[in-house]
Amino acid sequence: MLRTTPFHPRTSLINQLQNWRRWSGYYTAGLYEMSHEREYWAIRNAAALFDVSPLMKYLIEGPDAARLLDRIVTRDVQKMSIGQVIYTPWCNAEGKVLDDGTVSRLGETTFRMTSADPNLRWLNLNAAGMDVSITDISDQMAALSLQGPKARVILNRCAAKSLDGLKYFRLMENAIAEVPVTISRTGYTGDLGYEIWMEAANALPVWDALMAAGHDYGIAPAGILALDVARVEAGLILIETDYTAAHHALIESQKSSPFELGLGWAVNLEKGPFNGKQALVAEKAHGSEWMFVGLEVDWVGMERLFHEVGLPPQISPLTLRASLPVFKGSAQVGYASSSTWSPVLKKYIALAHVQKPYFEIGTDVLLEVTVEHQRKYAPAKVVKTPFYEPEWKKK
Amino acid sequence: MTSHTYDAIIIGGGHNGLINAAYLARAGKKVIVLERRPIVGGAAVTEEIFPGFRFTEFSYVVSLLRPEIIRELELPKHGLKILPLPSTFTPMENGDYIAAWDDHDKTRREIYRHSPKDADAYDDYARLMVRMAMAVKPLLSLIPPDLASLSPRDLVGLLKTGLYAASLSEKDLYAVAKLVTQSSGDLLDDWFETDALKGTKSASGIIGTFLGPRSPGTAYVLLHHYMGEIDGAFRAWGFAKNGSGGVTASIASAARALGVEIRTDAPVKQVIVKNGRAVGVALENGDEFHASVVVSAADPKRTFLQFVEPKYFPDEFITQIRNFRVRGSSGKLNLALSELPNFTALPGEGELHRGAVSISPSIDYIERAFDDAKYGQVSRRPYIDIIIPSMIDPEMAPPGQHVMSCFVQYVPYDVEGGWDESKKEAFAENVIATLEQYAPNIRRAIIGKQIITPVDIERIAGITGGNIFHGELLLHQLFFLRPAPQWADFRTPLPGYYLAASGAHPGGGIMGAAGKLSAQEILKDGLR
Amino acid sequence: MNSYDAIIIGAGHNGLTTAAWLAKAGKKVLVLEKRSVVGGACVGNDAALDPAPFSGGFLRPDIVRHLKLTQFGLNPAPVATDLISLLPDSRQLVLSADPVKTAESIAQFSAADAAKWPDFVRFMDKAAATLEAAYATPIPRLPKFSPTEGLPLAQLALKIRGLGARDMYAFIRLLPMSAKEFLDDWFESDALKAAIASLGIHNANLGVMSAGSAYNLLHQYLIRGGWGQPANDLRQVIAALESAAKAFGAEIRTSAEVARVTVENERVSGVLLASGEQNSAGTVLCSADPKRTFLSLVTPEPLDPEFVWQVQTLKMRGVTAMAAAQSAAPLPAGTLIVAPSLNYLERAYDAAKYGQISEKPYLEITTAGNSLSIHFQFAPYFLKNATWNAETRAKLESIVVDTLETRLPNLKSQIHNLKSLTPLDLETAFSLTEGDPHHGQLALDQFFFMRPIPGYASQKTPIAGLYLCGSGVHGGGGVSGIAGRNAAKAVLKGSL
Repeated sequence: MLRTTPFHPRTSLINQLQNWRRWSGYYTAGLYEMSHEREYWAIRNAAALFDVSPLMKYLIEGPDAARLLDRIVTRDVQKMSIGQVIYTPWCNAEGKVLDDGTVSRLGETTFRMTSADPNLRWLNLNAAGMDVSITDISDQMAALSLQGPKARVILNRCAAKSLDGLKYFRLMENAIAEVPVTISRTGYTGDLGYEIWMEAANALPVWDALMAAGHDYGIAPAGILALDVARVEAGLILIETDYTAAHHALIESQKSSPFELGLGWAVNLEKGPFNGKQALVAEKAHGSEWMFVGLEVDWVGMERLFHEVGLPPQISPLTLRASLPVFKGSAQVGYASSSTWSPVLKKYIALAHVQKPYFEIGTDVLLEVTVEHQRKYAPAKVVKTPFYEPEWKKK
Repeated sequence: MTSHTYDAIIIGGGHNGLINAAYLARAGKKVIVLERRPIVGGAAVTEEIFPGFRFTEFSYVVSLLRPEIIRELELPKHGLKILPLPSTFTPMENGDYIAAWDDHDKTRREIYRHSPKDADAYDDYARLMVRMAMAVKPLLSLIPPDLASLSPRDLVGLLKTGLYAASLSEKDLYAVAKLVTQSSGDLLDDWFETDALKGTKSASGIIGTFLGPRSPGTAYVLLHHYMGEIDGAFRAWGFAKNGSGGVTASIASAARALGVEIRTDAPVKQVIVKNGRAVGVALENGDEFHASVVVSAADPKRTFLQFVEPKYFPDEFITQIRNFRVRGSSGKLNLALSELPNFTALPGEGELHRGAVSISPSIDYIERAFDDAKYGQVSRRPYIDIIIPSMIDPEMAPPGQHVMSCFVQYVPYDVEGGWDESKKEAFAENVIATLEQYAPNIRRAIIGKQIITPVDIERIAGITGGNIFHGELLLHQLFFLRPAPQWADFRTPLPGYYLAASGAHPGGGIMGAAGKLSAQEILKDGLR
Repeated sequence: MNSYDAIIIGAGHNGLTTAAWLAKAGKKVLVLEKRSVVGGACVGNDAALDPAPFSGGFLRPDIVRHLKLTQFGLNPAPVATDLISLLPDSRQLVLSADPVKTAESIAQFSAADAAKWPDFVRFMDKAAATLEAAYATPIPRLPKFSPTEGLPLAQLALKIRGLGARDMYAFIRLLPMSAKEFLDDWFESDALKAAIASLGIHNANLGVMSAGSAYNLLHQYLIRGGWGQPANDLRQVIAALESAAKAFGAEIRTSAEVARVTVENERVSGVLLASGEQNSAGTVLCSADPKRTFLSLVTPEPLDPEFVWQVQTLKMRGVTAMAAAQSAAPLPAGTLIVAPSLNYLERAYDAAKYGQISEKPYLEITTAGNSLSIHFQFAPYFLKNATWNAETRAKLESIVVDTLETRLPNLKSQIHNLKSLTPLDLETAFSLTEGDPHHGQLALDQFFFMRPIPGYASQKTPIAGLYLCGSGVHGGGGVSGIAGRNAAKAVLKGSL
């Protein structure tokens, strides 16, 4: 048996297909209804409620807490204000990405780190000689993510304090159904959204309060399938799908630097020594060989490929987490690692690793697709990500 | 007296001898295998000791029968089925247990229960081991060169070895070097904190050796567990249908299909040498067989000190073979049971019974077991690796009843005062008393037992010292030093005479590799 | 703030060797020593009779020549004293530099062994010379080194091949063997094998049955120059090195504790003293052990966490205690050992595996006039369910005295002024992490290109300008000056 999250007593009752996926050893819903469509539209048009409890969570406390994190991640932790959250990758000494996640400054010497992969060993390795304590709080802490344009209204209806003043990537202490919670304005959908952190033992009343408060605003519990579409639209990377963690990689070419993942904006080369700094300084000077970019498939071209065999376009509504080769002429110049039909944009889009110089915005490339058992090449263009960013996301 | 002529005669019908014969036959050679016992299989035979209960007397799991051998000799066609042995369960002295199940998440959760740090380290450790297995694998199929020789063959071998080392990344090269020279205890202490986890992992580094987990050189053996993951076998451990005898039966069948003649009840007296060349074999009954080459799949001591007169070898070589360490260190207790052992740490019948059960609560526990053996005693509290073949293959025991194989270490060959019946009984009692601590119903469940010491292994399987690997896996007995410097390429100082078993590179535990590699070398020499 | 070409941390024999060597090459050198006296592990605390971690040793002849140490008062060419095994039946086995005399002594136990002795010594001398050549060979980073870097390695390989097939293989086989296995191949007398094997466990957390103890045996044989400890006074060695260094222009400051090696832009910039004083230098050579160097003298930020982990997992684990005493009665001269049998030595080690003090220890006693210096094994730094305190010290001392009594009857009533150094004392008073006099076990996995950390065997560290010159690196372990000399050579070859 896999483990169940603190919300399982609720989520198991509404999972119509009993469709469960694995996430870090937990059951997590693929979708709740017979199709993920309503869940997706809830993200983009109302509010979707995700159980994100399986995330890894670590509490880092002590006089050297900031120093430790600053050594690990590529952004400047020392400069964070209390109540600030940052999204950041972290690297090994060769400047290759190990994982990505968030760091929240809860106090002067208290931080919480979330990550996709276990990082306890890495945190401890880095803490040699530092005065800091590291606790894995993954099990003790439940987490929900409320995403969508109505998220704030819903929270304001059930939270003790108003969320109106909470800025993008900031957090606040609050209470829902009299349960103390921390609410951060973060998410993985590229929409307006919040993440709510609470003691695992007090999780259910929070779920119930949110569902009740959101009832009139179209709240929908949502699963991984809807989330996957939204995160590709938002241009957000997924570990083990879009990149291989450097310490999981068996060969060099499986590793990526933050620059190669399009996360150059999150690398601060001005700050003091941190893991991978020397390698990243060198990479920055020489320029990266690879870049992680958005691809927008030319729909007319795609339609033609199907038309040639006498079919209308047949596109899966699900995000494809498989590698599709990218060509320039007859030469392979990269591969798309996530691709999806975007319901809101009415476009087929992909996140792709592309080699120099073909990763420049506007470059025309070809994406390999299979049409009626045959390999075909759909015209596509390198574009900026995110593909979709509503104006209310950061407001 | 009868006389027969062949291209190659193989002495010994164990798995290496049979594999060697099969590969030679596959190359079109006329081959005969001469086996001393009435059945083939060497250390890997399955016999019915009690009515209805079938035991694999010595070997017990198919750790690493090379997958290419399985494929090339089409062993599955000849009845080979390797059934999964999915878990390892370790009861602890405090009444708890730790287990590795056949699911990553489940195992992680189990280890996390004992130590979150170890759960994290477990994954990193496994990845390192897989990378190391990738790095070491080519070494196993290299023919070790003679470092002192200037012959083209050895220089090419040296170059190949050098190129291999240069092909590794700096990190991997160093990691391999560390692994080869470390003790498994040190390696595991660096990674983990849970005693029972470390104990169980370290146990796989000492199986078949006369070393404790604190002895340098034991870390390398831990890799064997991860070999299966990278070479297309997809499982590190398995249990063969019909026991290990099922494996040799399938190899024998494959060999026969390729035209190999197998003669049992044919104990070899002597290798016949003419004009400084091995030309045949004389049996104890006086029968003679003649061939272009003679291949010994016996252990090095028998091969060089018993079958051939010493005058055919340089004194230096004889000294080296005499100094080759072959101290057997393990024994077995095979039990016929009326019911399954009921472990107090996890009562009732369950998943654990389908996998291995390991009595290895800590590194210190195993090291103390070794300390006893160092001074000539059977371990008072031994390391025991248990499987219940009847749970995996119902044909091994009558319905509802079970056979249980307990591999026990340390059981020294040179026990102080020598082996006798009362010592054997005392050894069995040590094992049962140890098991009783974790599964109190065990004594009542026993309806029959078979006790096997290294002396029994020597007597029955014909392995000097009763060492299941034909020679201890010590650093100075590996690669170009196995079994002796300058003679690590399966050839011997006697032309026409070859060594094809575990006493040669790459040693025991890599099942069948010596048999196959030696066949290749024999063919390279242009077997007439 | 003063500026130097090179700052050397620690004025032990290696630090002083490096300092003298660099100063002789015209460099402006500063040596910083935490204690009030120079000499590190060679020199005890205050009184001349206080025990020190090392009771014997000498500098390699090429160092003595290069630094002209005889001009500075060094007694030239010390010879190894006789190694005298005191057996329980009051017989003695004497291993001396004279093979004939030794063979006679061995003949009491085995005529066959006595006959083999000259051959054995010949092999040991050849093997020791090969090991010394290996210690003088700079080790490049493997596997992709330049031809220039590879040349010394190739020369070493040729030298090893030059031994001939038989001795080459014997040398290669020896390294991973246990002392017992190595000696079993040669001899039959347990007393003889045990006496020789005692070198294999000297200062090592190994038993005579542990793989790698044959290598340690050879190492000890090399740095002693024979079987017993060299007949010279380590204080005199240190005084000569100090005078030489000063004469060549090195500045030596005692009671100058280093707080931190300062690093700017991933390069060494100097040394900050605990007093707050900063001295700058582009090159810093640290003779402290690798753990102390990387875990407390530099901040972790510029280091790869994986590298730090390798440092953290370095095996130090000292097992040696020392004692010194005076005797009213005259003492036999030489190096006396309590090492009667292989099993005795192995059992002494068994205790250490489980964190116990050996009840029946291996002792090596060196005498000078009425003074004895006693080397005790095994006294593990990490005791199980106990710590090093007055009680465990008393236990240690009583085992010392009782064991001496079994070999030198009536000594118990004669000795006075017994002072001991526990492994914890070695750490606190001599800055030897975990009380390991070798700055890291001389074990197979911490040997040659893996000493102290794979990839950093040639004195360089991941921090540009920071070098290791103490016993923890390739060639180090015991009093020989090899590590100090190699570091000075490496620095001079580089861009200083």
